[in-house]
Amino acid sequence: MKQPRPIIQVRRLRKIYCMGDEKVTALNGVSLDILQGEICCIFGTSGSGKSTLLNQLAGMEKPTSGEVRIRGVRVSRLDEEELAAFRQRSIGFIFQSYNLLPSMTAVENVAMPLMFRGIPKKEREETAARMLRQVGLGHRLNHYPGQMSGGQQQRAGIARAFAAQPEVIFADEPTGNLDSRTTREIMEMITGFARQLHQTIVLVTHDPEMEQYADRVIRLVDGTIISNRVR
Amino acid sequence: MKHKDLFRVCLQNLLRHKARTLLTVMGVVLGCCSVIIMISIGIGMKRSQEQALSMMGDLTVINVYRTGKSKKAAKLNAKAMAAIKAIPGVQAATPKLTADQLPINVYAGKGRRYHCIYTSVVGLEPGAAEQMGYRLIEGKWNNSGQDHVLAGKDFAFLFEDTKRPSDRNMRDPWEKDAEPYFDIMKTPLTLEIESGKEDGKKQTVELTVDGRMKEDYSKGMETSMGLVFRLDDLQRIIEAQQKLAGKKPDRRQGWENAIVKAETIRQVAEIETQIKKMGFSTSSMESIRRPMEQEARQKQLMLGCLGAISLFVAALGITNTMIMSISERTREIGVMKALGCHVRDVRRLFLLEAGAIGLAGGITGMGVSFLISALMNLAAAAGIGGGFSSGGFDGADLFFSPDMGGLSTAVSIIPWWLALSAVLFSTLIGVGAGYYPARRAVNIPALEAIKHD
Repeated sequence: MKQPRPIIQVRRLRKIYCMGDEKVTALNGVSLDILQGEICCIFGTSGSGKSTLLNQLAGMEKPTSGEVRIRGVRVSRLDEEELAAFRQRSIGFIFQSYNLLPSMTAVENVAMPLMFRGIPKKEREETAARMLRQVGLGHRLNHYPGQMSGGQQQRAGIARAFAAQPEVIFADEPTGNLDSRTTREIMEMITGFARQLHQTIVLVTHDPEMEQYADRVIRLVDGTIISNRVR
Repeated sequence: MKHKDLFRVCLQNLLRHKARTLLTVMGVVLGCCSVIIMISIGIGMKRSQEQALSMMGDLTVINVYRTGKSKKAAKLNAKAMAAIKAIPGVQAATPKLTADQLPINVYAGKGRRYHCIYTSVVGLEPGAAEQMGYRLIEGKWNNSGQDHVLAGKDFAFLFEDTKRPSDRNMRDPWEKDAEPYFDIMKTPLTLEIESGKEDGKKQTVELTVDGRMKEDYSKGMETSMGLVFRLDDLQRIIEAQQKLAGKKPDRRQGWENAIVKAETIRQVAEIETQIKKMGFSTSSMESIRRPMEQEARQKQLMLGCLGAISLFVAALGITNTMIMSISERTREIGVMKALGCHVRDVRRLFLLEAGAIGLAGGITGMGVSFLISALMNLAAAAGIGGGFSSGGFDGADLFFSPDMGGLSTAVSIIPWWLALSAVLFSTLIGVGAGYYPARRAVNIPALEAIKHD
């Protein structure tokens, strides 16, 4: 079997926030590689810089120095327009607070990334409906987020992330708002899809339970990687 | 994003807060209405002014006079008439030959039974009467041949019946259902000129009446109690009389008076200046119309500004609503960006939402304006009590200026261009009002999506 190539490459990434006169170093020279198809867990306590790292990886913030490449593209160098196109093509998100738009039905929410790409309504809603059936929400296609439980909303969120078949899916504490039974359900669903579609996942969490689902575990303390191992 | 999707999302967002959207739209409706109604009142005012003026006289007709009898004064002769006709914008021009001093008698009926001792006679170039705004109530224009004339509406009442006693030998046209002794249209007339001296020299001309004119005092007495000749015919008759009186006719002196017709009202002032430069004096309705028009325009502008103020207030309402909506949707906008929504689509979405509010308000406002305008006109018509309006109101009269006949009772007139531009203006105002909120939305970072609160 050929060696999978790294899809995410991070080199000497530093991020310093200016809080008034005080400078806070959130990331202090982080370097790492994540391979195609890997499920990578980034662990860290609150304030460890794990959220900052995620922001840098997804191109939400510009680093102070260093660089992030996703499939060879320097994310930190992209402007707003390029970034939008890049996100459409390459990045999916699963959020802690689901972030479904309340004015749209489940199908419309899942189809949203495809809508931004300009895919016609019929086509994208077929894809969205298929994804929703796969996450077990086939009976809730036209429900609004307000009519669904947290677990259901997160399942719709997962469907949305996978619907566009991006290169990398970033998950930010995806189970942070869920109980332990639903957490297991959700995680099994995410990892199941990932294995099936050979999808790269970067998961940020403080929950040690998550370790069991990961291929690679990265621990972050005070903006520095203290361990990076493959299970 | 596809346009269709933009529209769909825009509509979804607007319908999410129905009450808020509705209130903002109502603001625009009020603004739009006030603009339309104010301007429509201005237009109504102007229209009725013009109608009042045109009842006083034809607005495109200019009267030209010779300034004096001195030798130096410019002569209103054939050459001058040709020059006037050559002025750009002149549709027609004719000398107006009047012969009020001419001693004439007109006879009609068998054995010269009916006799008229005085009338005002006017000579116009053939065909000119029609162009200068003379109107016929029966018959045809006197273009067909020599000594064909047009009679004033009540010309027949000038005749006395020589077979009746002298105190009861005339009929009064002002009496109800009065009929003259004979039908002027079917009776040949005989014109008799005399030398004016005691020598009794006389000459007669047989006249045929081709048409009867509508009474119009702005044109002259001839339309009610006189005769209109073809210019050359009258010229000939006058010269014949001068010969009888032993004077030598002199054509070089030209005429006292001429009438000029401009193609449009706008050209009247310019033509008048040109004619004045040639050394003649002029008069037209322009000297009355101009200040009236200016005043009307000022009033219209003022009314329009009043209306526009309320539309601008509505615009602030739109901006306010959009800003509120954006601060509520900060996270959503972040999510959209995180999921790959282009910045330009975010901007377009919010401009579209603001524009849609403007458009909805504009269209509703237009509808409401037509309704208000109709009600106002109905109320005005009822107030006047039908005194001016010739008959009942038919639908079109409510909005558009009624027929040219009677005075218009419409106080508010909404032409199609006003309705259309009001809708357009409202939409533009909406988009303009959405500009600043849209910029704020564009600047919301994708990072908002992952913030925990």
